[in-house]
Amino acid sequence: MTAAPGTAPEADPKATPEAATAPVRDSPERPARRRGPARQALVLLVPGLLALLLTYALPLVWVVRMSLNESGEGGLIRQTVSLATFGEVLGSSHYGNVIRQTVELGVLVTFFTLVVSYPVALFLARTTSRWRGLLMALAIAPLLISSVARTFGWMAILGRQGVVNKTLDGLGLIDAPLHLANNLTGVVIASTEIYMPFAILAMISGFGRLDPALEHAAASLGAPRRTVFRRIVLPLTLPGVLTAGLLVFVLSLSGYVTPRLIGGGRVFVLATEIYDEAITSLDWPVAAVLSMLLLALFGVVIAVYLWAQRALEARFTGAQEARS
Amino acid sequence: MADTPVSEGHLVLEALAKTYPGKDGAAVRGVDLTVERGRMLAVLGPSGCGKSTTLRMIAGLVEPTAGRIRVDGRDLTDVPVHRRDMGVVFQSYALFPHLDVARNVAFGLEMRGTPKAELRRRVDEALDLVRLGHLAGRRIAQLSGGQQQRVALARALVVKPAVLLLDEPLSNLDAQLRSAMRDEIVRIQRETGVTTVFVTHDQQEALSMADGVAVMNQGRIEQTGTPEDIYERPERPFVARFVGRANLLDGTVSGVEADTVAVALPGLGTVRAAGGPVTAGAATTVMLRPHRIALTGAAPGSGAVRGTVLSAGYAGETVAYRVRVGDAGPVLDVERPTGAHASYGPGAEVELSWDPDAPRLVAAEEGTE
Repeated sequence: MTAAPGTAPEADPKATPEAATAPVRDSPERPARRRGPARQALVLLVPGLLALLLTYALPLVWVVRMSLNESGEGGLIRQTVSLATFGEVLGSSHYGNVIRQTVELGVLVTFFTLVVSYPVALFLARTTSRWRGLLMALAIAPLLISSVARTFGWMAILGRQGVVNKTLDGLGLIDAPLHLANNLTGVVIASTEIYMPFAILAMISGFGRLDPALEHAAASLGAPRRTVFRRIVLPLTLPGVLTAGLLVFVLSLSGYVTPRLIGGGRVFVLATEIYDEAITSLDWPVAAVLSMLLLALFGVVIAVYLWAQRALEARFTGAQEARS
Repeated sequence: MADTPVSEGHLVLEALAKTYPGKDGAAVRGVDLTVERGRMLAVLGPSGCGKSTTLRMIAGLVEPTAGRIRVDGRDLTDVPVHRRDMGVVFQSYALFPHLDVARNVAFGLEMRGTPKAELRRRVDEALDLVRLGHLAGRRIAQLSGGQQQRVALARALVVKPAVLLLDEPLSNLDAQLRSAMRDEIVRIQRETGVTTVFVTHDQQEALSMADGVAVMNQGRIEQTGTPEDIYERPERPFVARFVGRANLLDGTVSGVEADTVAVALPGLGTVRAAGGPVTAGAATTVMLRPHRIALTGAAPGSGAVRGTVLSAGYAGETVAYRVRVGDAGPVLDVERPTGAHASYGPGAEVELSWDPDAPRLVAAEEGTE
């Protein structure tokens, strides 16, 4: 960014206060000054845009290009432009299963995460206890530990010789160990706990419209507690739940560590499959096609989210206008 | 107290008290109140005096630590909020943002299982009552503050509640709207004849709207009476000071007659005041409203009370003077209308006079302060 002679007056910080207080004398300077803020904003955006271009846009273009190649014998990549690899992947029952299981895992994890996080978030959003700050910190404290470490923790809990099986066995409640790890069940359980802090945070920030006076008003009008929840609390917290749902679903679609470690090689999802194809089989075109499919899945999820959000917002029409 | 037979009042509070755990001192310390059917009572007090807590206890939103709440002689103390049949208008209005105006108003009727046709008719009636019939389909966020206030009133009244409770109903409105809504609330209350209790910290509101006023301070009711009682005949210095402006002068009772009491006020001499009962020799306080004191230029040799103007503050319709009586006497607030009277600048020598019925005895305050 070399300063061209024409831009120098704006760049000079001393020129600004003078221009702000004294009336502008020479008119030629005026139009240049008016463009100033926009140009400055552009300059400020450049580093971020460059970083995005280098780390996101270019690799993405490269992945798109790779997905149009074909894989030859012995890990060779045949440079071409065709949809053959797409056809191969979409036609195979194996990859079909992978996509189905990815979505299934996402749906299950999202459902359970929302169900267990909602009461916690609702409590934290409504409590007036002086411990609120501490409880809030506790709820999101798991984020301080790497999800790899937490996944290993779940392996120790859910495994054949894990805490759960040992306890149940010790109590004589089971004859054979329960299959809690190395399958979808284990991945769902561990993922649910791992995504809870995200869900709780997203919900609390989305519960803004919840005002205790609304619940009091509903009660004073004759609504028992359950009706207050159904008619007032639930509809008003739904936008927060929706946002949390989007976040968890997207996180779980792209989740790699937990399915890999707890799945024990028996849970195949897009993220693990992409890794295997790219690193183990060195079949980059297939890995690229799977990446594109994952991206398409995100697109669908976000489209559904936006549609649902708009449907919800339609019930608050005007609420948006009033706030903006 | 608990054995009181069926009382005259429609809404009766008996020794109602609330103590919050972990906080020293009670929020409400034994409130006795009676509101007759169809009347409007204002509970007036400074913030933190326990008036809102009292209202919330009547509504059932706060559980009293002690005391009873009766409506029509029926004890409601242990009846949960949703079966209490109270219409509550909250300070923030608490309208449901996800429902439109008509559905906000219909909420209470839906809870009572009102048949659809009747529900629609009553919602329309309630909206007409608050003059919002044309806005039934609007979203809450599209309404102005005054309109929201009306929706809140309609929503509370549509269920024909036993008692209407208003928590600082005008505090969220700007000054102009406030006086319009004041008249509007009075009209609606007259039209529906619903027994009403409202809480406010604004003495103008309380005096102009209510049939009766209960002045509250530090969790207790200081005085209950008509607006005129409260303003003209305050029984305690707190009431005199909180409702309107007042000069409070401490003195000693020097003589008791049929309707007046002579009180020796240091620096002012003996003043005849109405009120009582008191006994000679007792310490007491005399109240003189600033606007009841007249000022005239000092005429040499007259026996009247003389003073020196310390300051004069012009306030449009009135001038607020501070006048020191004698050389080292008390400083009195004096308020004179502008225009018809001569005005005095600081340092002017003046004579002070008042009608014989202006000074009132307010019994000495008990306890602290």
